[in-house]
Amino acid sequence: MAIGALTISHSARADRLGDIKARGTLICGTQSSSVPYAYQDPNTRAFVGYDVDICKALAKGLGVALEHRPLSTEARIPELKLGRVDVVAGSMAYLPERAAQVDFSLQYLQGKIKVLVRESSGINTFADLKDKRVCASKGSSSAAIAERALSSSRVMTFQDVAACNLALQSGKVEAFTAGELVLKRFFVDSRKSSDPYRLLEEATAIERIGIVADKGNSGLLAAVNDVLRKMDADGELDTIFDQWMGKNSIYGLTRSFKVEPVDQAM
Amino acid sequence: MVFDWTFLTGAGVATKLFSGVVTTLQLFAAAWIGGLAVALVIVALRAISFAPLGWFMRLFVEYHRNVPTVVQIMVWYFGVPEILPAPVQLWVNRSQSEFVFAAVALSLNVSAYYSEDIRSGLRAIPHTQIEAARAIGLSAFAAMRYVSIPQALRIAVPPLLNRTLILFKDTSLAMVIGVADLTYQVKAIENLTFRSFEVFAVATFVYLTFSLAIMGAGAWFGKRFPPGFKS
Repeated sequence: MAIGALTISHSARADRLGDIKARGTLICGTQSSSVPYAYQDPNTRAFVGYDVDICKALAKGLGVALEHRPLSTEARIPELKLGRVDVVAGSMAYLPERAAQVDFSLQYLQGKIKVLVRESSGINTFADLKDKRVCASKGSSSAAIAERALSSSRVMTFQDVAACNLALQSGKVEAFTAGELVLKRFFVDSRKSSDPYRLLEEATAIERIGIVADKGNSGLLAAVNDVLRKMDADGELDTIFDQWMGKNSIYGLTRSFKVEPVDQAM
Repeated sequence: MVFDWTFLTGAGVATKLFSGVVTTLQLFAAAWIGGLAVALVIVALRAISFAPLGWFMRLFVEYHRNVPTVVQIMVWYFGVPEILPAPVQLWVNRSQSEFVFAAVALSLNVSAYYSEDIRSGLRAIPHTQIEAARAIGLSAFAAMRYVSIPQALRIAVPPLLNRTLILFKDTSLAMVIGVADLTYQVKAIENLTFRSFEVFAVATFVYLTFSLAIMGAGAWFGKRFPPGFKS
């Protein structure tokens, strides 16, 4: 097969950081429709969210302008591999297999992956989910993790979280797994309906989310890590967290994660 | 970046790919046979001169030709069960109905195109043949069954083949409702390993192989049974 020998030329040179400084812009990718990480503000049409603010802070920390690229879930890795974006802050959780393909920075966010069920189903624990159908959104970290954490359940993926919510409502699936923040929105909505949801206590995993760069950009990654440490120290990370997930948001979470390597024992 | 195929030996990867290929082929076979069967019924119904039936059949065909296939699949899976009586609805939702709904949606979708292709074939047959068939005492149904439909089907083979290739590719749309076909499995593997290029190269190769096989079978059939072939 000729394709086996095919190489794709791209600009993953050892000095990506030098390229960024010379260019004067950091091309930073995020998700495109994922509340509260990166989505279009319905009023201003501008992309906003936790990940977008992280991109802004990174560019500022590196002393360059920001070129923000909203990406579809599917495009995140190919765009990075083809060198069209420098880094992706795309709420991508660390998995060992993924780390063989891309490099992760220190974690800039941590999240619990949880499971939502209908209250009427009587499911209380993961053990109750044995042989039951569990929905996850296609291409999400939750889907990849659920195959392991809920290995005795039948994990299936739909196009997006809205389709999973619809499937849970109509009883096509017994449970829906996703990030805690995503589920919380659906949970709150369901309390007004006749068949409310319940969020299970257990988490399938703690997602450790890092900024992702293509392999072989150690200089760039070191600079990104420096910026993250500085943001952690001077309180900028707390400010961003509070705005999107903490006390100034509907979620009211308290930041408990540290800026530390993503591959620490989970 | 050099392609690296070692991930294919990873845990469960080969199993996923194989089961995906099997599901894709099952869905294709179900929709192909279902589509041809429904198409023949449509052709017969459209031959009846009864205005309301004619309008309904036209509506059926135009819906399936003008609404995106992926939307039709969604309508069947998420929409149709909602209009069923509650106990039936619950039973349908609890059963693993993705494959069935995808097969039904794709069958109906392709039947609209197939029926138009066959009707074009029918129009290509001189009306004198039907008159001759009626003159030797065949009923209207028998004339269709023994004279016009067999010839129309043969004339319609090239457009039918073309639509069949599109149907084969359309099976990949079923993943939106969670049917674990090849594309679904490819995306699952990609999500876990981030080996996007390689895994899509595998999918491309598999789809291309089967598409070429379908084309080859059609070409062989066309040569082996030329129009006007007498067995």
